Amino acid sequence: MSKVDHALYEIHHMDTLADRDQWLNHIHPLVKLIITVSYISVTVSFQKYDFTRLLRMGIYPIALFILGDISFPNALKRLRLVLPLVCFVGLFNPLFDRRPAVELGTVVITAGMISMITLMLKGIYSILAAYLLIASTSIEKICSAMRMLHIPAILVTQVLLTYRYIFVLLEEARRITDAYSLRAPRQKGIHFKVWGSLAGQLLLRSMDRADHVYESMTLRGYRGEFYYGSRTALRAKDSIYLVIWITLFILLKII
Amino acid sequence: MSHIHISLEHVNYSYDTSNPVLKDITFTAHEHDAIGLIGANGVGKSTLLKLLVGLNLDYKGSIRVEDIPVEKNTLPVIREKIGYVFQDSDSQLFMSTVKDDVAFAPRNYGLSDEEVNRRVDHALKSIHIEHLKNRQIYKLSGGEKKLVSIATILSMTPDIILMDEPSIALDPRNRRRLIHILNNFGHLKIIASHDLDMILDTCNRVLLMSDGQIIRDGNTGEILSDKELLEKHGLELPLCMQRSPHR
Repeated sequence: MSKVDHALYEIHHMDTLADRDQWLNHIHPLVKLIITVSYISVTVSFQKYDFTRLLRMGIYPIALFILGDISFPNALKRLRLVLPLVCFVGLFNPLFDRRPAVELGTVVITAGMISMITLMLKGIYSILAAYLLIASTSIEKICSAMRMLHIPAILVTQVLLTYRYIFVLLEEARRITDAYSLRAPRQKGIHFKVWGSLAGQLLLRSMDRADHVYESMTLRGYRGEFYYGSRTALRAKDSIYLVIWITLFILLKII
Repeated sequence: MSHIHISLEHVNYSYDTSNPVLKDITFTAHEHDAIGLIGANGVGKSTLLKLLVGLNLDYKGSIRVEDIPVEKNTLPVIREKIGYVFQDSDSQLFMSTVKDDVAFAPRNYGLSDEEVNRRVDHALKSIHIEHLKNRQIYKLSGGEKKLVSIATILSMTPDIILMDEPSIALDPRNRRRLIHILNNFGHLKIIASHDLDMILDTCNRVLLMSDGQIIRDGNTGEILSDKELLEKHGLELPLCMQRSPHR
């Protein structure tokens, strides 16, 4: 499978995950969105040396991986490009903050090391929470929930269309690279001499495709706002799910 | 005179001034017309269809749909009446599931959830693809995508159908279904296609285009059996007319 095929497969796989008939997938999207935003807000609000209390926030992703029957190793595999970036953020803390904080026998752990790990953990938790949201909720449902929160239609539409255009771009990239590789059988990858023209082709073709998709939308009555179908009311189990998690986040923050 | 109609008078169009794509196009299409738009590659068939739904507005001349001029401010009204099937289904389908894509237009026109669901079910049933309802678009084959594209316009219950190469990617059985659907659609339809056998089966009138102009406008049987005329304009007789009676 080529790299572009693999990227397409990964995105499609996220759609498939969100489309499964799982208990977590049936929770109201508004509830899941509020919980995710609350979780990330509480997580990032911990003090930079508050490692042990922050560690307890791991209960949320762990519970959701189990409740949603979502594979943790697969999640790590998919996030392998993002997680190092998040971890990189606090990499220099041990160099600047060398005050000893904890002594374990002869090993001295500095405050900088603790703040680095805390920062990394905040990033990892936040990314996992976002991953769990999109793995259990389709992009249309997330956008629908955003509109329920009265986020302006233009912003929500941007989110939805950006997501959709990733497919357009990747599919065009796949067609171009397939056509290239079929006529350059002994080459590994794409020769640098044609990078310019291929990138130009990709840009022009994806712009054309984007135009056609937009035309298709306007021909079917699109006037600047997506309608996501019926807004289902919150059920008792949605409310209980929301209250339990928000209460837990507050308790984990204050105790 | 019938109610639903399209009229074009002296329509000229070009993407750039030096290279006109459509030249002095004039015709009227009435409510029960089934029009086949035929011609060699690049003669302007798709461009003409796009003008009818206002995808290109900087044309010269007059285009009216049910006496409404095709202009920027009339597009919402006109597009509610016309269902347009793209040549490339990947450009037409953009939601993640079949159900959402077919429901896109009815939702945009503010219909109730019950009515949207009813229309989605009816559109899928009329093309015999109810089983695809909850499928994700990217998992569909080329032919299935084409059928779903047709369902997306049927859910709008249009007064007029425009189709650009609808039989592309369809297997023989689905092509036969498409012909059946088109024949059951009682209102005005205009079909641009190189599949002259399908045109023969579905249309009572043919517009033959060449070099941006309408060369001939007339009865389907007469035009499609005129070998000399078709070959002069880059086409051939429909396959069913090419078969030797002795084989």
